[in-house]
Order: sequence, then structure tokens, then C-alpha cells
Amino acid sequence: MTSDPVGERQDVPAVSPAEEGEVPDARAIRRFTAQAGNARGGASLGALLSDVYYAVITLAIGIGLALGAAQALRVALPDEPAVHAPRGLSLPTLVVVLVVGLAGILVSLAGRLGPVGAGGAEASWWLSLPVDRRGLLRPAARRLPVVAALVGAVLVALLDAGLLSDAAGHVARVAVTAALAAAALVLLAAVLQSRGVRRSTTALVGDLLLAAAPVAAVVLALGDWSVRSVPTLPWVGAAGAALVVAALAVLVDRRLGRIPERSLRESGSVATQAVGAAVSLDSRELGRALTDGAAAPARRRTSRLRTARGAASALVTADLVVLRRSVRHVVQILVAALVPVLVTSVPQLASPFGVLLSVLVAGYVAMSATGEGARRAQMAPVLDRLLPLGLKSVRRLRMVVPGAAMLLWSLVAFAAVGRWTGGVAGWLALGVASTPVWAAAAVRSSYRPAPDWSGPLVSTPMGALPTGVGSVLARGPDVVVLGLLPVWVAILLRTVTPTLVTVQVLCAVVAVAVASSTATGTLLERMTATQEELEKQRREATR
Amino acid sequence: MPKNVSQPVVRAQDLLVGYGGAPVCAPVTFTLNLGKAVALVGANGSGKSTVLRAVIGLLDPSGGKLSVLGAEVDERDVAFRTAVASVLDDDAYFPALTVAEHLYLTARGHGMLGADELVSRLLEEFGLVEHARSLPVALSSGQRRRLLLAAGFARPRSLLVLDEPEQRLDRAMRDRLAQRLVDEKEAGGAVLLATHDPDLVLAVADRAVHVADDVTRVLPPGEAATLISRENP
Repeated sequence: MTSDPVGERQDVPAVSPAEEGEVPDARAIRRFTAQAGNARGGASLGALLSDVYYAVITLAIGIGLALGAAQALRVALPDEPAVHAPRGLSLPTLVVVLVVGLAGILVSLAGRLGPVGAGGAEASWWLSLPVDRRGLLRPAARRLPVVAALVGAVLVALLDAGLLSDAAGHVARVAVTAALAAAALVLLAAVLQSRGVRRSTTALVGDLLLAAAPVAAVVLALGDWSVRSVPTLPWVGAAGAALVVAALAVLVDRRLGRIPERSLRESGSVATQAVGAAVSLDSRELGRALTDGAAAPARRRTSRLRTARGAASALVTADLVVLRRSVRHVVQILVAALVPVLVTSVPQLASPFGVLLSVLVAGYVAMSATGEGARRAQMAPVLDRLLPLGLKSVRRLRMVVPGAAMLLWSLVAFAAVGRWTGGVAGWLALGVASTPVWAAAAVRSSYRPAPDWSGPLVSTPMGALPTGVGSVLARGPDVVVLGLLPVWVAILLRTVTPTLVTVQVLCAVVAVAVASSTATGTLLERMTATQEELEKQRREATR
Repeated sequence: MPKNVSQPVVRAQDLLVGYGGAPVCAPVTFTLNLGKAVALVGANGSGKSTVLRAVIGLLDPSGGKLSVLGAEVDERDVAFRTAVASVLDDDAYFPALTVAEHLYLTARGHGMLGADELVSRLLEEFGLVEHARSLPVALSSGQRRRLLLAAGFARPRSLLVLDEPEQRLDRAMRDRLAQRLVDEKEAGGAVLLATHDPDLVLAVADRAVHVADDVTRVLPPGEAATLISRENP
């Protein structure tokens, strides 16, 4: 701020449309808004209790199932080998690395979402009122630390129960420690927000922490250094940590009124967009909300696309610029490349199923970071019509950058798999052959149409969903699952043959052809449409 | 009335505004006193709205000096929020609150004692009587714009900041708004608005500031109106 402090503000308004009385407190404002909403939303006490009941039951069932799965996983894990593998990683070390990565994700999300924000109507209609903003923002300020504590406790408890411990007391202590740490991290982010630290800076710290976790794990594995158990707080320590968290909560509460409206509006806007995207299962929109909404307001150096020599190379260069400018996506690809390296370094996890899962999941995570250009083109179709290229050609060209990025990912990931089986060359060949499948999946998922929520409902294990939503959401993952069948077979058999590489090349060709298609309907829908068209022609011919 | 009427309500001296350290327009210099109106004019994207955002505290200036009501801009200050009313292009409403309830929220939130009478008057003035019980989802974009403008007048203020208030208003409502802003000045308030409407400039503004990339100039309203007509033939 460069203006001079020139004195006290004149505090008597020049124009008043009516006699002024006492300004109500923030709670009264909140109550007024909530009462009107409840009255029109039909939110009776019975409906509220019913919602709470279903939420608790769903949560309990979900946690119970997850704990059961974790227990089954722990039982299925092989014992720690008697002889320590050179350049291996112990399971507790991997869990510590995962926890650090989770902390990075949490800090990054806290920065991107505020953590304190006021979205939409609240920003427009509440923040201009001359009331103590702390009272208005208190519910929003509590929300994220509480959610972080719950999610942190559940995730870390599942990690502990699934991979390390069968003692309920230990799992409970780990859960409490994780809950307190998660809440403390979010509250610290809130303190930084109230001190005017940019949200993008906090998000960057989280991203770096996330990126540092697998790198540190690789360094630890190479240095042959591991921890024997996950550090936890004793109950007395947990009580002390709880006091620290409470003190942080009080500090945040006192500083809520110091958070600039600009920051509150930006955070609120990101949170609103992100929640909307999550509820409608739109991962592309969620990515846009968390990436664009939290970006630092900086002007970019104009790229003159000097390498472009025509329409095709201009498109590819533009996609490359988009990827290069998104640090989050580059970090995502790097982190994902290290996951198979880590999994193959931990003897208990390096089973064929564990390695296959790590390759598919990490590959999908990396792949989803490469299609930003295509995603933006899906949002604004005019981008694809700017150049004198057919739509199929555009889609094929949009696979070039994802293909290049996934080639680098494949070289690292499949080298790790090769090291695990004892022969690298064949696996690298399989990795290169499978790269086009990832590129095809990136483009296919980027161009998938938005789910149509207005269709007739069908009952599913996740509740009632409109027909067709599942098939839309499966566009992209379907290519990964089917197009990488040779990789599945090779990893499960722990061997690569020339035949598998050849079949993989054929699968890649089919995947590219499928992803180049501009038809938006599912296969079933297209078959039905074709059948109806044939019926129509037949009727007309008969007539 | 304010304690010190001689002091400018807004004083901008070589004010630089922008994003990421890059200014969006040339430095802006102007003063605005109580009972006066200044119009910011200029082409689309010239930086008018960005200047307004700095004045109401939604953006830190990149350089120069800016004071509002004799102190530096800080929207966290309750006195600032009491004195500065702004109507930007926020198209966000509580989905369960009616038109009238949005106005009550503003009026009662600012401690207005005659809120019933005030809200009735504003509904009448802004052509919203028939929609008083409507939820925002049922309103047209023009009606939502009128609701936002009405809310700007449902509260006490020394400075009224408006970003292109003529947008989505028909001719009659534009004329009524112009008269409302003239009344605002006569009541002792200051008005700062960004606009593309030459008639609004002529009717309301005492001076205009032409915001541009190369240089910003203070113009008499007539010259500014001509400039707008030339830029938007």
C-alpha cells in the first residue's frame, strides 16, 4: 500500500436514507439469512435429523468398510524379509512419506480454498455491512479445519491399520495425532491468510511439500536409510498438541476481521466452484477451480510460438506452452513418476498386484495432468476451429504433448518395473509402446461431454443416478483399462515378451483411433441410433 | 454531515493500479469532494473498474497515493464500510431471500430505523414492487441489476461508487438513475462512477477522468461525453 496515512476517517455518513439506529451483531445477520433460507427450503427439524442420521450412518458404514479393507490388506501383506534388501524402503518409511505427501496436499488445498472465504451472496451482501466480520466468518473459518481433522484422522488411521499396526490403541493414537496435525496446518494457513500472505504462496508451499515427499523417499532408498516405526504422540503429547491447536483456533478467530475482503472473495469463489464441481462429479471443472482460482495474478511473457511452422505445429506448441506454464501439472507428473519407483522399493508392497495398481493409478494421475490444452478446448470449442484443421486431426495433434509427457513418465515408471523383475530393456519397450494409450486417454477424457443430470434415474450402489452419467465419466478410464491389457498381463506374469509388446502396439493404434473420434455418444447410444436410422430407412422403403 | 467537508472524499495522486505488478492504465490523478460526482470514462478494458476496485479496497494500488475520506483505504475498517457504498457487477444473491428481504438485509444490517418505509420507497423507485416477493432466480438480468442499485441506496454513505450502473437498464430507468444521482450530490454525497453512457456523464458528472494506457486526462463532462460517443459510435 503506497498511500500516506493522512489521518482519521470521517465517520459520519453524509447521506442517510433513514434515521440510523444500532447496527445488529453478526449473529443476527446470519440468523436472518438462515431463517429465510430454512423457511423456503422446507428445512424442518425432522428433515434435519433425518439428514444427520443418514450422514452418520453413511459415514459409519464407509469407515467400517474401509477399516475392513485395511485389515484385509494388512493380513495379505507378506512379512518383512529377514534380510534387508539393498536400496529398499521399509514400510514405515513409506507411510511417513505418504503422510508428508498428504500434508502437502492439505496445505496446498488450504491455500487454494482460503482457508477462510466468503463466496457469492455472502461476499456481496454481508461483507459490506458495518458489523464485526468475525461473527460472519466464524462458521466458514471452522469448516475447513474440522473437515481436515476428520479426513486426516481417517486417512492416516487407515494407512496405519492397513499397513502397519493391528493394535486398536495405536491406531486411535495415530488418528488423534493426524487429526490435530491436520487441523493445525489449516489453522496456520488461516493465520498466514490473515497476515496478507498470498493464497498462491501457501498453495505453492503445499505443492513443494508434496513434490518433496517422493523425492525424499527415493533419496532415503538410495541411501539405504529407513525408519522402523511411524512417530506418534503419546496421549500426554496429544493433549499438549490439542492445546496448541486450540490456541491457534483462538488466534485465527481474533484475526478473522483482518482478512482482506479481496482474499475472502477469491477464496469463496474458488470454494464455491470447487464444491459445485465435486458435487457434479466434474473433475475437469474441479481442476480448473483449484488451478485458475488460486493462481497468482501475474502477467505472462508473451509466447511468440517461434517453433510453429504451420497449423499443426502451432497447435502442438500452444499445448506445450499451456503445460509448461502450469507448475502444478508438471509437479503432478514428476510425483506420479516416482510412485512405481517407491512401490517396487518396498518389499511388502512389491507384489505383482501392488506394482500393477501403482502403475495404473500413478499413470492415470500423470496422464490427467497432461491434457490441459484439450480440456480448455473442450470448454471453448472455438479454440479447435481457429486453425484450418479437421476436428479429428485436431484431436490427434492434441495427443502429441500428452504423449511426450507420458513417454518421460513411462521411461521412469517402466524402468522401475524392469528393475523389480530383473530386466529393464523389454519393459522400456513395453512402456514406449503403451505411451499412445495414455495420450489417447488424456484426450478422450478431456473431450468428454458434461454429464446429463436430467436423464431418468437408476438405482446404483452410490444412490440414484441419471442414466448415462457413468458412461460419460468412464470416457478416458475405459481406454486406460482396456488399452493397457498387455501391460496388465506382463506385470502380473512379471515378464515381457515380444508378443505382448506387439499386442500393446496394436492396442495403442486402436486407442488413438477411438480418442480421435468426435462422436460424443457412447457405443451403445451410437449402436441404438444406427439401428433406429436403419429401421426408419426400411419403413420408408416399404412405404 | 462529515466533520470535515473541506477534505476531499477521494484523493488519487498518480495512482497506479494493476495485477501482478503490471499497471493496467496510466497513473490516475483526481480529487472528489462531497456534493460532487466524477465519472471515469474510457474504452473497454482501459482500467476504469480496476481504479474503482482500488478506491473501495478490493485491490492494493501498485503505486501513487490514494486516500478515501481522509485516511488510507482499508475496507476492514468499519467506518470505511459505513461511509463507502459500492455497486459493482456482482450478480450473486441469496437464493432463498426475496428481493425485499435483500433490501431489508442491507438496511437493517446498517442499522436503519425506518427500514420498512425505506424498502417500500426503494422498491417503488426502482420498479421492483411487483417483484418484492420474488426470489432472485425469477428475476431478469435487468431486474437483478435494479435490485443491486436499490441496495446501494438502502444504507448510509458519504461516497457512492458505481461500476457502469447503466448496464442492463432501459432508457427510462437510466434517466431515473441519473436524477437519483443528482439528488445524491444535492444531499451532500459524493459519487464516483465508471460509465460508457454520455447522457449519464452530462447529467451527473462535474468532471470526468479519461482512463487510458498512455495518459489519463481530467475533462469537462461535455468533452467526455463527446469522447464516449466517438469511441462507441
